[in-house]
Amino acid sequence: MAKQIITLTVNGDEHELAVAPYQTLLEVLRDELDLIGTKRGCTAGSCGVCTVNGEQGEAVLSCCTLAVDWNGRSVTTVEGVQEGTELHPIQKKFLEHGAVQCGFCTPGLVMSAKALLDVNTSPTERDINEAMAGAICRCTGHIKVKIAIREAAKALREREGAG
Amino acid sequence: MARVKEDLAVVGKNWARLDGADKVTGRSLFADDVRLPGMLYAKVVRSPHAHARILDIDISKAAAVPGVKAIITPEDGKDIWIGMNQPLLPPDGIVKYVGHEVVAIAATSERIAARAAELVEIEYETLPSLSDPRDAIKEGAIQLHEKGEGNVGWEVNLDHGDPDKVFAECDVIREDEFITNASHNCYAEYHVCVCDFSQAGKLVVYTPTQTAILFQKALAAAFEMEDSDVRMLTLNTGGGFTGRTSVRPHHFIAALLSRKAGRPVRLRSAGDEEFIMCRAGGKVYYKLRSGATKDGKLKVIEADLLFDNGAYIESQMIVTTLTSKYLHVLYPLEASRYRGRLAYTNHLPYYFHHGGGLAQMQFALGQHMDALAHDLGMDSVEFSLLNGVEEGYTTADGTTTYYSCGLKECIEKTAELAGWKDKYGKLPKYKGIGIGIGAMASGAKGVFKHDTSAAMIQVNPDGKASLFIGLPDMGQSSHTTMAIIAAEVLGIAPTDIKVVSGDTDTDPFDVGAFTQRGTFTTGNATKNAALDARGQLAVWAAGQLECDEDDLVWRNHEVYAKDNPDEKLRFRDVADQTLNCMEGRFVMGRGFYNSPIKAGSMAFSFGAQIAEVTVDPSTGVVTVDKMTASHDVGRAINPRIVEGQMDGQIFSGMSQVLYEETIMEDGQVMNPSRLDYKMPRAYEMPEVDHIIVETIDPNGPFGAKEVGEGPIVCTMQAIANAVTNAIGARITEMPLSPWRVVKAIKD
Repeated sequence: MAKQIITLTVNGDEHELAVAPYQTLLEVLRDELDLIGTKRGCTAGSCGVCTVNGEQGEAVLSCCTLAVDWNGRSVTTVEGVQEGTELHPIQKKFLEHGAVQCGFCTPGLVMSAKALLDVNTSPTERDINEAMAGAICRCTGHIKVKIAIREAAKALREREGAG
Repeated sequence: MARVKEDLAVVGKNWARLDGADKVTGRSLFADDVRLPGMLYAKVVRSPHAHARILDIDISKAAAVPGVKAIITPEDGKDIWIGMNQPLLPPDGIVKYVGHEVVAIAATSERIAARAAELVEIEYETLPSLSDPRDAIKEGAIQLHEKGEGNVGWEVNLDHGDPDKVFAECDVIREDEFITNASHNCYAEYHVCVCDFSQAGKLVVYTPTQTAILFQKALAAAFEMEDSDVRMLTLNTGGGFTGRTSVRPHHFIAALLSRKAGRPVRLRSAGDEEFIMCRAGGKVYYKLRSGATKDGKLKVIEADLLFDNGAYIESQMIVTTLTSKYLHVLYPLEASRYRGRLAYTNHLPYYFHHGGGLAQMQFALGQHMDALAHDLGMDSVEFSLLNGVEEGYTTADGTTTYYSCGLKECIEKTAELAGWKDKYGKLPKYKGIGIGIGAMASGAKGVFKHDTSAAMIQVNPDGKASLFIGLPDMGQSSHTTMAIIAAEVLGIAPTDIKVVSGDTDTDPFDVGAFTQRGTFTTGNATKNAALDARGQLAVWAAGQLECDEDDLVWRNHEVYAKDNPDEKLRFRDVADQTLNCMEGRFVMGRGFYNSPIKAGSMAFSFGAQIAEVTVDPSTGVVTVDKMTASHDVGRAINPRIVEGQMDGQIFSGMSQVLYEETIMEDGQVMNPSRLDYKMPRAYEMPEVDHIIVETIDPNGPFGAKEVGEGPIVCTMQAIANAVTNAIGARITEMPLSPWRVVKAIKD
């Protein structure tokens, strides 16, 4: 099948890419752009490790998204979360509260959490559970992940207040 | 036993894992992230039949696909053996399980390899197959192997004392039967292996592992090479869960393809293949019988376990040994009898469940004891306190003595915090409470004659250090734990230490991260290495402070004589002067640890967990409302990490007891995806109260034992006992799926 030229903005950088119609966003990020921070898991939308953030900051399963459908749009990956040389509050709280173990699903968890906290810094328990429902994490059992998200929400609220 | 009170500066505080920043930013690399020049991608062609004879293999169409660079068939795999008796590819032309590897292809892309795999034509003649181990051992069943009469591939019989005589002396005797089903380890990182065998006689392997050393030995033996000609590179390991302790077919296949193509090859399971190729634990049937006196004293246990072994003998052979010894670890018995049999079936060869077979056996034994307690008119807490082991106990085989034992402290504290007395027997209908107790070894001899870990530590003139270890970190934070131990000895911070690990060319020897040996064994080696390094630094420091080397205190980046704390040297000056003097003493500490006993373990950890559940009688759905969990870790080196280990195991135990089942039908996995194979999500997880019990083991590094697999042993039985308490009936088969719960309520 003929390749198509698409324009994709990733973490603020615009790329012009020739992609096959069957290539997923995950494949393009990892194999064409070498953004291997986004991990490849089940490739069927059931584990959440490939989660990135879409144009409105929403959580997107990059393994189930065709790259050609993303033509002209923008996406944020885990590589785009850090603020300069500083960790983002979500990353800091994941680290401080022991929400990281093997680390394979961590980029996906961070992106799912960011999709929530970018629009809601006062999430209820239910909001957190819903935002993280697409993720599987056998190491942490989600317990410290939920604590980290609550703490990150607090830090972001404080920052909003200060700003 | 008297415990030395130690005033610790670093151990026991909460430290963020040293590799955490890399993991939250996506900088951490895993085997699937490895990109090598000229790398090819592999796809395996698997048998769709549970038992069949291969009549013909035609690879001509596949070989003609542009981009296909190498194909291997059973001929290429002959003389390579996996585990006890599995040939890599079926050289006799008989496939024995669905998913049996027959042909493998390496091509320039994953898509080309997959397309070519579809063009491989294999003609089969199907044969009758076995899917139930109970049928397999019946007279007249088809024989799957020449050796192994009645399809029993392995059998362990172990008696202690005279069980028949002791049963005759008992007032109450109880018999129960239980079943635990096959499950998947479900690590986030799928099976993957990158092999570079393009240079003759040199094999380089990137793969997630719990033990690079055992992988190296197995691959070297298969390819008739020296161990050191196989270089294992472990980047990060995306979860272990007892599932990455031995080499699997994909490791050998990737190596064979790489050798044939003369290029690096990556083989990764795709989609449902992960479930078809995963070799976790199989189904087990338990018959348990035990006896007690009417005053509640447990005297004897008899256990008969029948394992679905799958088509070839693998790690479940070890599970029979572990479960045979487990009868005596929690209760001092007058006698016991164990029989464990591995029955061949046409399922894929089984290895370990998460929990090593012990957590699964405790699902059975813990419920059996709960029922026995009930028969005796006691509750499980009373029964466990009366019958549980204590410090100084020696196991029936004489190998292991408990130099520390916090079992009863765990039970008491957990019962108190959970409010057991106020709740047990007093909850409304369909609400229940249950307890589970457990014990777990911290390292054991058996894989090798020894159980050795080694460590090296280099102290740099800037006062920082590099710690070299061979212990993999698959998420349990073992590298950070080792840095904390070394930092405590040297009087610096864990963040001053770089942990260097993951390359068998440079790693000191380490058996690996299994049998929960990391903190205890590698921890002791690391402590010894740090003490050695400190001794080298002490020469200059003691001369400067005019005191005995042994009288030096190393703390907060400073060094001083213990009776003269006002005259302090900076640690970095000691390090600097030790090297940058005329003698040029370069500081390189080395340490080893191998437990001094002949077999068994030097230390056991203990735990108790209480589950509170709500059962919906109409749907059968069990909700875990709360878990109260205690663990005797000896000493918590990094308490938040200890809690995290407990959390993960509570998740996995809850997941296995309520949801996880690899459903098999005629040898086929019927639910091969993470949507169909149910695991808890964030919203299903209960609140967890942690109780860390510290018994300060005299042999552990700063008193530490393990928290790697102890907690999960308690979880399944606690939840199952709570469900029994809620519905007034016992469900004897795991998982307690809603349909089983509804059926139990109706019956």
